[in-house]
Formats: sequence, C-alpha cells, structure tokens
Amino acid sequence: MRAVLATYLRELRAYFLSPLAYVVAFFFLVINGVLFGMMITQLAQPGAPSGPPMGYFFGSTWLILIVLGTILPMRLLSEELRSGSIEVLMTAPITEGQVVAGKYLAALSFFALLWLPTLGYAGILAHYGEVQWGPIAAGYLSVLLVGALFLSVGTFASAMTKSQLIAAVITFAILIVLFLVGLLEQLASGEVWKNVFGYLDISAAMDELGKGVLDTRRLVYYISTSWFFLFLTSRALEDRKWR
Amino acid sequence: MIEAQNLSRRYGDFTAVDDVSFAVGEGEILGLLGPNGAGKTTTIRMITGFLPPTGGRVTIGGTDLFEAPVKARRQIGYLPENVALYSEMRVGEYLAYRAGLEGLKRAEAKRACESAQERCLLSDVRNQVIGTLSKGYRQRVGLATAILHDPEVLVLDEPTVGLDPKQIIAIRELIRDLGRERTLILSTHILSEVELLCNRVLIIDKGRIVAEGTPESLRQSSRGASEIRVAFAGVAGVDAAAAESVASVAEMSAALGALAGITAVTPGAEAGEFRLAASAEADPRAEIFRLAVAKGWTLVELAQSKASLEDVFVRLTTNRPVEAAEPIEDDHPDPANDRDEAAEPSEEVPS
Repeated sequence: MRAVLATYLRELRAYFLSPLAYVVAFFFLVINGVLFGMMITQLAQPGAPSGPPMGYFFGSTWLILIVLGTILPMRLLSEELRSGSIEVLMTAPITEGQVVAGKYLAALSFFALLWLPTLGYAGILAHYGEVQWGPIAAGYLSVLLVGALFLSVGTFASAMTKSQLIAAVITFAILIVLFLVGLLEQLASGEVWKNVFGYLDISAAMDELGKGVLDTRRLVYYISTSWFFLFLTSRALEDRKWR
Repeated sequence: MIEAQNLSRRYGDFTAVDDVSFAVGEGEILGLLGPNGAGKTTTIRMITGFLPPTGGRVTIGGTDLFEAPVKARRQIGYLPENVALYSEMRVGEYLAYRAGLEGLKRAEAKRACESAQERCLLSDVRNQVIGTLSKGYRQRVGLATAILHDPEVLVLDEPTVGLDPKQIIAIRELIRDLGRERTLILSTHILSEVELLCNRVLIIDKGRIVAEGTPESLRQSSRGASEIRVAFAGVAGVDAAAAESVASVAEMSAALGALAGITAVTPGAEAGEFRLAASAEADPRAEIFRLAVAKGWTLVELAQSKASLEDVFVRLTTNRPVEAAEPIEDDHPDPANDRDEAAEPSEEVPS
C-alpha cells in the first residue's frame, strides 16, 4: 500500500513538474471558457432551446475528454520503458498491478483537478439564476467516469511502447472507436443491436447524465471497461519481461 | 544468501545464459567477469527479478524469487548498468520516493535517506535536480537507492563505468565498505576491480561459467602462461661498438629456445629483446643468466611476469593461446596497489 502511495505521489508531482501539464491545463481552461461563454450567449437568444445550461456544457465536452485521455496518460509507462527506469522500478518490492494503480490514480487525480475550476461556471449560473445541483453533480460524475475509461485506455497504450507519441496515437485510435461504436445505433437494424450500441454510446450517455439521468448499466460499462484496460496494462507490463 | 540453480535465459533462438548455477554466501563479494555480451547483465537481471529465467530458479535468503517476488526483492539492493533516474526530481525527493517504494515508514525513511546520502557523499547535492547532475553523482544516487533499505544482498552491475579516476576510487572504497557487512555481487569487465574487491570470481563467457574460484586460485591455475622478458645490449648492427661480444638476434633466439623449460621465443620490438613463454614448473631465469655470462652477452633486463587474472581471462574467453592474444600490457596491474589507471581502456578486456 505504501508503495502504491509512493508511486501515486511521485507521478502526481511529475504532472505538476512537466510543462506539458500546464500547456494542457491552459488550453483546457481557455477552450472550456470560450465554449461556456458561447453556449450562454446562444441560450440567451430568444427562441433558444430550453434546458439546464450545464447539461449542454457537459454534452459538448466529449472532444476535450478524448484529447485529455490521449495526452495525460501517454507518458506514464512509456517514459519508464524509454529511459530504462522500469528496471529499478520493477526490481523494487512492488507488483505490476500496484505500479499501474499508482500511476493511473495519479492521472485520474490530475484529470479531476483540471475540472475543478469549471465549478466556477455553475457558480456563475447560480449567481444569475436558478440552478439544479443534482444534474450538475451527475454531469461531473459522468465526466469523471468517461475520463476514467479514457485514461485507462491511455495507460494501457503507454505500456505497449517506449514512444509517447505512438502511445498517444494508439490511445486516440481506440478512443475514436469507443466513441464511434455508440453512433452505430443510428445505423443498426434490429431492436437488439440498436439497444446494444445505444448503451455503448458515450456521447448520448453524457447528454443523459448532464440532464440528471443516472443509468446503472452505463456506470457498469464505464467501470468494468476501465478495470479491463487496467488489467491489460498490468499484463502488458508482465509480458514485456518475456520478450 | 543468494542461490542460482541452473539459470537459463533464451531470447527467441538466442541463448544468452545457459545453465548457470552459483551460490553466494553471507559477507562474500562475488565478481562476475566476462567480455561484453557474455551474459553478465542478463544473469544479474535474473537474480534481481527483473527478468524471469526461461529455466532454473533463484532463491534469496531462502525465498524463491518467483514464488514470492515482493518479499525476495525487499532483500535486494540493485544498481543497474544504466542508472535511469527521474530527471525532474531532486535528489532528496527521489530518495524519499524510493524509501516509500521500499515500504519504509515515515521516520524510518527519513533516517534511511539521511544515512544513504551521507554514505554516498550526496549531502551537498540533495536539493539539486537529478537532471543537472554529472554522471558520477547520478551513479552515486543509484548506489544510494540500492543501499537505502539496508538490503542484505547488494547487486551492482558495472558500478564504475563512465566515472573519472577519482570517483572510481571513491566508489570502490564504498563498495569495499558495503561488502564487509553484506552479500555483494559485482559485475564488471575491469579486471583490476575484481582483483581489488572480490573474494570470489565467476568468469562467464557465451552464457556459461568457464571458471570459478578466488582471484588467487585462478591466477595459479594459469601458471603455465608465465612470461619472461629478456633484453641484451650490443646486438649486431645496433650498438656494436659498445658490445664486448656481438651476436645476431637469430643466434640469441636459438640459444634461448634451447634452454630447459622454455616453450616459445618471440623477438621483441627492439633488437635484443625477447619474450619467452615458460612452462609451469620451470624458472629458467638462472639458466638465462648463465647463458649470458657464458656467451658474453650483456644482460640488461630479465623479468618474470606472473600470470595475472587478465591472462586467465583472455585464455578462457578466447580460443587463442595467451601469446597470440591482444598485446598484454607489460606492467600488469598489481592487485596489491590501488591504481586509478584501471579506467584506461588498455586494462579493459578486449571484446
């Protein structure tokens, strides 16, 4: 447990020491801020669709989530493999699973911290009007869960290669597939397939959650898939020894 | 303390380590010696648990490395060949992180970091970012992490590679110090280092153990290769005026070769210089002196060089006899002296 904590703290510190994290945080806040501003302007027009503004906000973040899921974890293991520090790491009394857990949780924590300032948007809305906090909490939960899934994919890809760039490309490809699978709902014929793809539809799920609809089937999908990718990651680390 | 049984490691079709067995007892310093690519690093990676062997097993203090890896690894401190550190961290931070990784409690960790920094002479740079440190300092940080949790077994893979002579002396002193209280495995291709530090040597070539023993016993086993240097002044055509008697190189060569115990005569670079190979039991120096007196040749040099570990090494790891191998430095490193020149390429084993 202490070893996981040590890995977690080191990795989290590494985020704050790397320029990349600040670049990401900068653009993340700028883009989100502009997005939020544009959305509020649109919703203030006469004849604009009704609904909670934060719901629309969460519904529009999928692209940002894909970018974060690609960039934040790409360094985690590929850098260890490239520099060779994996050797002193994996000869310490720590298992592959613990290494993956510590690193992944650090990425997830940094991801969550990035979203913290956006609570200010809800604060602005609350200042000028009525805000329903339940759907907003659900929206943040969905961001966290989708983020958890995307980061687990990124962590997995980073265990596959020494190159951060290749890790990022692999992650991006997998995330696009995960995202597009949901859009097959429109094309699928037959009730069963429509349902299956509907549950995998990340963008629709985020819309729903943003509006305050909690569907346990979607929660199960996110958590189990994240778990699956993390399991693959620790397997990939073990497998490297045999090559 | 460490026991390796029938260790083998294959990479695809290539066998890097082939059926290697050895045991290292408490307080012993074992030197792993071999040319580049002999399988030293692979062997070391297997006994530190970084690489699983494709055959055989390793136990550390009675714990099987592959059945209880975490428990076994807790007893090992490891300095890999290429010390890779997190370059964005400060030295103190990095050590604290490593202490956490080793599972040390907060107070314990603090004490361990302090003492490791002190032992490895890192106290001055504890607040420096690792990326800005010189190679020597990084090596010391690596060594500090290896001894941080006070392991019973210390495994060092080429600990002095890339250091300057002063740093080499410092690191060697530290290693000798550390070896007094724990089991130590040291891999190197610098022979004088082994003669200096180790009380047992394992010579590895092409993935197999080719010799094992104390540096002393290995040297003795190679007595047959002892070499004698002889030089005469006043050889024909060179310094005839000064010579009382003039003889040709060929004549000298023939006369020397006829002596009992001499197995080969090789003329040296200068006329009048010879290198003689003598058989194990013979000491023909007296004979050579008498020969010179009888012939009236002016003897200016006569020296027997005992076979060094280097000779043993070259003989075991090449298929050529010692005479035909790479030119051996005349002044063999004397194991009794601490000498910095060990870092010079001339003392490194030809690969």
